[in-house]
Amino acid sequence: MSPSRLRLVALGVDDDLVVELTSADDPDVEHRLVPRRLAPTADDRAAGRDRFEVTVDGWVIVVTAESADRAALRERATRLSAVTGHAGPLTLKAKIPGRVARVWVTVGTEVQQGDRLLSIEAMKMENEIRAPRAGTVSAVAVAVGDRVELGSDLAVVG
Amino acid sequence: MKQSRTEPPFRRLLIANRGEIALRIIRACRELDIETVAVFSDADADALHVRAADQSYRVGPAPAAASYLVADAIIAAAVAAGADAIHPGYGFLSEQAAFAAAVEARGIVFVGPTPDTLAGLGDKIAARQSARANDVPIVPGTFEPIAVGGVGDEQRIASIASEIGYPVLVKAAAGGGGRGMRRVDDPAELSAAVTAAAGEALQSFGSASVYLEHYVEGGRHVEVQLLGDAHGNIVALGERDCSIQRRHQKLVEEAPAPGLTADDRRRIHGLAVRVARSVGLRNAATAEFLVTGSGEAYFLEVNARLQVEHGVTELVSGIDLVHEQLWIAAGQPLSDEVVAASHDLVQPDRHAIELRISAEDPARAFAPMPGRISRWREPAGPGVRVDSGVAEGMTVSGDYDPLLSKILVVAPDRDGAIRRARRAVAELETGGIQTTLPFHAWLLRHPAFVSGAVRTDLVDRDWAPSPLREAAARRAISAVAQLLRPGRSASEDAGTPGVAGHPDDRPDATTGGAWAQIARREATERWP
Repeated sequence: MSPSRLRLVALGVDDDLVVELTSADDPDVEHRLVPRRLAPTADDRAAGRDRFEVTVDGWVIVVTAESADRAALRERATRLSAVTGHAGPLTLKAKIPGRVARVWVTVGTEVQQGDRLLSIEAMKMENEIRAPRAGTVSAVAVAVGDRVELGSDLAVVG
Repeated sequence: MKQSRTEPPFRRLLIANRGEIALRIIRACRELDIETVAVFSDADADALHVRAADQSYRVGPAPAAASYLVADAIIAAAVAAGADAIHPGYGFLSEQAAFAAAVEARGIVFVGPTPDTLAGLGDKIAARQSARANDVPIVPGTFEPIAVGGVGDEQRIASIASEIGYPVLVKAAAGGGGRGMRRVDDPAELSAAVTAAAGEALQSFGSASVYLEHYVEGGRHVEVQLLGDAHGNIVALGERDCSIQRRHQKLVEEAPAPGLTADDRRRIHGLAVRVARSVGLRNAATAEFLVTGSGEAYFLEVNARLQVEHGVTELVSGIDLVHEQLWIAAGQPLSDEVVAASHDLVQPDRHAIELRISAEDPARAFAPMPGRISRWREPAGPGVRVDSGVAEGMTVSGDYDPLLSKILVVAPDRDGAIRRARRAVAELETGGIQTTLPFHAWLLRHPAFVSGAVRTDLVDRDWAPSPLREAAARRAISAVAQLLRPGRSASEDAGTPGVAGHPDDRPDATTGGAWAQIARREATERWP
């Protein structure tokens, strides 16, 4: 087996931090940091990816590790589907658990990128969910007062 | 009046709250041989305060509006439990006059001010009027609710605001705890802001009444701890600086307020006592002031309850404020120790700092981050006190306030307290959910904070999390790379410091190292 390359991705707020290493590289020594292995998600299993959590100076950072070759293959496949125009409808998922406080759109509403779709209230704070791109709302999966969990479907922009 | 503190002040007390403050009150009751009764929502059936109390009653489903805010359910629990007193903690029903009155109507003691005092202070406009009538300086602003939506209202508001001077704050008369506030810099935005604030106030507080106040740039938030007994005695127990805030909500509090002279303290303590006297204050309360860069103090409002940050005052004064609340509620006069402490606190000989550890992501504008706490190890050691409402393995619900824990430190001086706080922050281990911990680590080395130059706009001006988080992400990647490096054996992994004894934390331990395992998976699984 040739020396394998590993792709490590630290999930970020806006951008992920991606580092690729070969087995010959010698990473910086971080004696005091203890990565905790997380239960793999369905996507992780499908991608053969490992998921870790490391707390650094209070920052709770999730790092995924997978073969760089596999990641490259998958990216090529994704690019291919985008080029052939199969971007498809976009399902918005809840990034925080909470309660639906307001819904500004209904099925058929035309939205521009950045338009308010709905808001989720968690811990006394209202968080607005905005359209990631222009399109037509093709589904609204929640109503005011509904409880949503992390990853729950909220709406679909087609 | 002679004191007789030989018998417990109450036989059985119900705590109408949850989280760390419920535990704090249970601890005080234990020390005074008072039996405790907890209440809980469905989300809290297994919470620490329920486990700690002698008995517990369910009061409703998860949303606070259906459980911790339902006065009838809580009073029914108190009656069923045979409680002779109710401590409301902070938030929830703590400052609701109608709740206090309903409790007293059932012959149960409400640990707090009288319903009349609560009604008077709950209306911030009435509190401003009362301060003005007692010659206590107040921030320029209105003394009547602002009318919205009527003919000519828009012009009237605009002329009032320009008289007060921009920027102005639109505040809800029934607001509190930093909620129901909007800052307006541009006169063109005023009308919309007032309308929106009134709508929000109606939704959140049940009253659309709002007022305007001049926003003081570069100000500090200083508040005075007050205790009053049922016999008309009122003292100030020193002050706290709570300038480190985001969204008008406190992140860090300290006592005493840095940079004040003994004369400054005497003056501001005196103003607070004057306000308290004018409203007939009983039990514990806090008078909030805005202190300008030039040292002038303006009265803002009174919070007629125990504050989240009461612990820093306890560490500096040596007085247990919850004990005192209970003795006062039982009709005892202020103790000699309290009176002596109120004099000593003009020149305190200790410094305390509190850090609020909340389930919020400081890299996402402090957005709330509920979830499961997979790791939680609290700091300990000299001069450290931790008031927590959580434990490892618990799930933080999105239904309540994100405050998880308060880390308090005390030292002979401010410099020592900052050093101790840095050490405590480094000792706190967290995982599973993002907390405000990285903010605290940064703040405790921020030159302006370290020098005592605290201002309410410090966080907005100086907190830039992206580079800090990215540096942490790089180190996290290095740590994972190391863990996965070739040749790392199972026995080596098991010997990693901090791992032994915690099976959940054990890194993947496979012969030949995880790196090799990932490579093998690559060879055996086909893609796509």
